[in-house]
Amino acid sequence: MSEERLDKWDRELNRSSGISTDRNNTPVSALIRTLGKTVNICELELRKIRRDYTDLLIRAIQPILWLTIFGTAFTHISQNSIPSLAIAINGGLNGISYLEYIAPGILAQSVLFISIFTGISMIWERDLGQLDRLLCSPVPRTAIVLGKSFTGGLRGLIQAAIIFVVAVVMQISINFNPLYLIGVAAIVFTFGIGFSSLSIAISTIIKSRERIFGLVQLLTMPLFFASNALYPTQLMPEWLQIISFINPMSYAVDALRILMITGNFGRLLTDVVALAISTTVFIFFATMAFRRIER
Amino acid sequence: MINLHYRKHEDHQVSTIRRKEFPSSAIKVNSLRKKYGRLNSLNGISFEVFPNEIFGFLGPNGAGKTTTIKCITTLTKPTGGSIQVFGIDAISDPDRVRQNIGYVPQSLSLVGELSGYENLLMYSKLYGVPKEHRNENIFRILELLGISEKADYQVRNYSGGMMRRLEIGTALVHNPPLIILDEPTIGLDPQGRRMVWEILRRLVHKLGTTIFMTTHDMLEADQLCDRLAIINSGKIAAIDTPINLKRNVVGVSSEGRGTVGGDVITLKIPTDSRSSAISIIGRELGSKAEIVDDLSLRIILKDVDSLFSKLLSILIKAGIRLDSIDVQKPTLDDVFLQYAGTRIQEAESQTMESWKSIRNVRRTFRQMG
Repeated sequence: MSEERLDKWDRELNRSSGISTDRNNTPVSALIRTLGKTVNICELELRKIRRDYTDLLIRAIQPILWLTIFGTAFTHISQNSIPSLAIAINGGLNGISYLEYIAPGILAQSVLFISIFTGISMIWERDLGQLDRLLCSPVPRTAIVLGKSFTGGLRGLIQAAIIFVVAVVMQISINFNPLYLIGVAAIVFTFGIGFSSLSIAISTIIKSRERIFGLVQLLTMPLFFASNALYPTQLMPEWLQIISFINPMSYAVDALRILMITGNFGRLLTDVVALAISTTVFIFFATMAFRRIER
Repeated sequence: MINLHYRKHEDHQVSTIRRKEFPSSAIKVNSLRKKYGRLNSLNGISFEVFPNEIFGFLGPNGAGKTTTIKCITTLTKPTGGSIQVFGIDAISDPDRVRQNIGYVPQSLSLVGELSGYENLLMYSKLYGVPKEHRNENIFRILELLGISEKADYQVRNYSGGMMRRLEIGTALVHNPPLIILDEPTIGLDPQGRRMVWEILRRLVHKLGTTIFMTTHDMLEADQLCDRLAIINSGKIAAIDTPINLKRNVVGVSSEGRGTVGGDVITLKIPTDSRSSAISIIGRELGSKAEIVDDLSLRIILKDVDSLFSKLLSILIKAGIRLDSIDVQKPTLDDVFLQYAGTRIQEAESQTMESWKSIRNVRRTFRQMG
């Protein structure tokens, strides 16, 4: 039975098969193809997440601990023992609590961590041979980079949703205006894409699993602590303020803080432009590095 | 399960149905060189794979098998030389080569979290299989692989044999005219190996597919491959059909099993009739029989099949009592030893080591989640 069916299929397939000489390479068709394959790569990654979301849940624990333990403790400490911090937060930013101040920072941090993991998981895929399968398929290199980065952005969105729930439970007052929420989503997505691309660029160049973990630690620490995620930059020494100024994370945190908590639109445009530029640059790096992968 | 009984090409009229418009060669490699830093991985190899054949690459670890595959599959750029796949230049036009090949790496590249169906679906999409053919095509492949019933199970729960077959299946979604496999049956039990062979033979005979594969398995090289290239230290030592390779073995193996240009026949003959046997064999067959020990004589014949009945009849006619007769033909193991300078077993154990390390990577991967 199955033998007959296979034979029939084989005959039909044989009639239609030959050597593919598809050379439709106008810039427009190439762009459409790249975008199409980007969507396919995203779908592949999202299917993985759907089948196995424990990773995402485990990753949500760390920001929750930051908020519940560090946030609660430091709210208490800053009120009682660090008057300058309390003044900088409360005086400058119409009376918000320290917990409210760091909530956007913790959100950005968890998106940063999950994005950086995109590159690490690509090293796994390379060792397993999954990446080779993609590289010798007609999928454009750019689509692989974009697909993986966009998935990093989407994972960031899932993190954001979880943190929002936690924030509500902790009675952190967040602005739930739908327009603001869309803004938060857009910032998280862009930021996630940017740092996923950066991690892809790094892992493409580094290649080794042993080295990448150390390097990622080396990268995330200053990104997080030399930003405005945990404390206002004006309290930092000047050299740290300079680092914070060129740190894309500061702009993401600032934008998120505006949209989620303060509503002071003063610097939003600067933040968005800075974020857009850094993400574009990172995507460019990643694509360039990846195109030269072993060829 | 599908049961197919295909014979090899030598005694098989090449399938009547063939792919349209085939160029005369599927792969044409010319003085291919690859350097990694200062290390020469390939020292100028040349070979040609013809359409609709199974071409095997046999060699010890580090001989350059995987490097050759990486060059053909456009995963790495050679230092020098040329590669053409169906007449398409793999170095200047890698994209068009990629459309026409299916690659099955040695490691497990499936997505363990997804089901078998999903793995095939995602590869179909990535290879741009038109939507209207996609599902039918996937069902055909599942049927071919014999895993239709397990299609919706997560791949990480599959047996090793099923994973390997699905691995091959994901390289078939776009019905490529050339399939490249790196050690396709490594780590499989004999039954699993046989199932893979049947799938590959079916592709060649029914769909006119060309197969290029590496192997360390002598039986596989002998029974599955139409032609073999033996590669050693980045150079090709010999290319021929398994039969011809065995026919031309000239070395003597350490166990005395191998031969000097032919098949070894060991006769057990009573001591008293030994000298007459030696003279008859020398006169009638023109070959010298040596004394092995008290009981046995050894003759080396170029082609035992055509002379076997003659040998028996002259001995019987002379009234010599034959207690036993043993024929040893050269094996690919002897061929391998001659060209690669090492026994398969040794090379194999090294390859198994690397397979184990892949398994370990995989295990760690699972633990990491």
